[in-house]
Amino acid sequence: MTTTLNTTKETKIDTEERIKIREIEMVDVIVMVGSALSAFALSYFFFQILLPVSGALGFLVCWYVFFNIISTVAVWELRGAIKAKDHLARVFIWTGGLAAVVPLILVLVYVIGKGYHSLRPQFFTQDQKFVGALSESTEGGGAHAIVGTLEQVGIASLISVPLGITTAVYLNEVKGRLTKPLRMIIDAMSAVPSIVAGLFIYAAWILALGNQQSGIAGSLALAVLFLPTVTRTSEVVLRLVPGGLREASLALGGTEWRTTSRVVLPTAKSGLVTAVILGVARVIGETAPLILTVGGAFVMNANPFSGKQDALPYFVFRLIRFPQEAQVARAWTGALVLVILVLVLFVIARAIGGRGPDHISRLKKRRLKRKGLA
Amino acid sequence: MTSIDITSTDTTRMSSDISLLDPGHQAAGLTANNVACWFGTKKVLEGVNLDMAPGQVTALIGPSGCGKSTFLRTLNRMHELVPSATLAGEILIDGVDIYRGAIPVTDVRRRIGMVFQKPNPFPAMTVAENVLAGLKLSGLKTTRSERDELIESCLSKAGLWNEVKNRLGDPGRALSGGQQQRLCIARSLAVSPQVLLMDEPCSALDPTSTRRIEQTISEISETITVVIVTHNMQQAQRVSHRCAFFLAAENEPGRIVEEGPTKDIFTNPRDSRTNDYVNGRFG
Repeated sequence: MTTTLNTTKETKIDTEERIKIREIEMVDVIVMVGSALSAFALSYFFFQILLPVSGALGFLVCWYVFFNIISTVAVWELRGAIKAKDHLARVFIWTGGLAAVVPLILVLVYVIGKGYHSLRPQFFTQDQKFVGALSESTEGGGAHAIVGTLEQVGIASLISVPLGITTAVYLNEVKGRLTKPLRMIIDAMSAVPSIVAGLFIYAAWILALGNQQSGIAGSLALAVLFLPTVTRTSEVVLRLVPGGLREASLALGGTEWRTTSRVVLPTAKSGLVTAVILGVARVIGETAPLILTVGGAFVMNANPFSGKQDALPYFVFRLIRFPQEAQVARAWTGALVLVILVLVLFVIARAIGGRGPDHISRLKKRRLKRKGLA
Repeated sequence: MTSIDITSTDTTRMSSDISLLDPGHQAAGLTANNVACWFGTKKVLEGVNLDMAPGQVTALIGPSGCGKSTFLRTLNRMHELVPSATLAGEILIDGVDIYRGAIPVTDVRRRIGMVFQKPNPFPAMTVAENVLAGLKLSGLKTTRSERDELIESCLSKAGLWNEVKNRLGDPGRALSGGQQQRLCIARSLAVSPQVLLMDEPCSALDPTSTRRIEQTISEISETITVVIVTHNMQQAQRVSHRCAFFLAAENEPGRIVEEGPTKDIFTNPRDSRTNDYVNGRFG
């Protein structure tokens, strides 16, 4: 052995000069900046002098296209065809990524900008009982809508999550005779327009069975939309569990049920939480299925089983159409609170779900210690 | 030859309620009589007769695709997990048929354990939980002291205790590949099997881990019958008492060409194909 291990704690300054593997070369930077500038100049020339067109979006597109052409030609000259194609692909991928993220950020910024003016602590504690047509936008709150949304989505997940995961287990673990038709039905269900889900519950639960509009009717409508999302995502997640684990469990004398409950589901846990999150995300912003089912309300009704309820998206939908500025501002605040609510739910779900099967949570460590296994 | 209906489930439960933790259990002998296997309509194995005597290590050797692994998987009813798989013949554990007899399939698999080619510890469990997984999966209650004892003894038998005794709370997959495989062996040992089937257990491991596992095999073979599939001729020579050479001609089901004491198979084979194979001239 020619190398020796330096076990002493004292810091030794390395004298070797390291190879700069990840350094960006100056010439590449110049090519990019130069291409961007010349593309800008070229589009300016076209837009302002040559052609009778105008508009910021057109200019941006024009600039982008020119940049691609110029920089690709430049890289081609400099480094050859293969590098040029590589460069072009890289630009497209970056553009795609940005195009996906930028609108998202814009929406967030817009909602925050519009909604934070009227956001006061009482938005979480008061309803609209004492709010008149001319009240300030900071008066009253959306507590009734927050409670409504939480209850409706909560009940919808109580219905859909166990049902969806059980169906996914059937599709992926049991693989019974009904697998194919079931999968088709789930696919068809996920394509149901949300208003149709609302109409279905309105026709079946309210008109045919003679129930009143209430939170539970809304939950049922949301559950119709929730179920296919949870089922399909869970199925994909369960399919990712290596078959070797199932075999190992069965080879130890495990029954199919214990294999599923003790090995497959725990291994897929964080993925299943993602499935639930996707399901919640699918329904928490839904307005259409709620219009006919929950009825809407301006006052607090915490009982989801009787009386009309409100929900945050419905609250926003109603108030944004008022002519009074205060009402519109209140609607924006409602939208902001909805975004915050989703964020909080996601953080909670991630904390419960853990970070993948190899990660052992603090809670589990404590449980193991009690049993003397850690 | 009538094929066995593996889809039928017998509900009669065996009355042998020996505690799984009972150390007094004995290695059991396995006997295969005229076994044939199919995947759908393709026959992959036929006419296999093999006696795997209690407390002995039997190695199954032969080129890829000759049906060794398929045969191994019929020995603890893992073959039937492939939806199109069927088989014929009989497999006896201490004289009792594991397919037609009164032993429930979960008991068959508990008495005849299996270690797979790829280490597959349960990712959602810690090292200690992995060892105890078999008890949990078969719903056995244990006291804390029993558990502690079992963890230490199984990990020691698998030659892993010293390396992981301070890491029992780590996730199973935090260990190295060789350690994971030894953890899988410890996991199989925890349910006190009478037979242990090993499907190329060292093919993904480094020489040191391989040696450790071979050591484990020779240690456990006093109380557990071992059947091992291996592509490594030296390994077969080192660990096994008896050897069975499988071979499949093109588009034909695999058969046992020759079977006997390991020494004879390697030094004095009766069949010229065995001679060619063990000396590395084909396969």
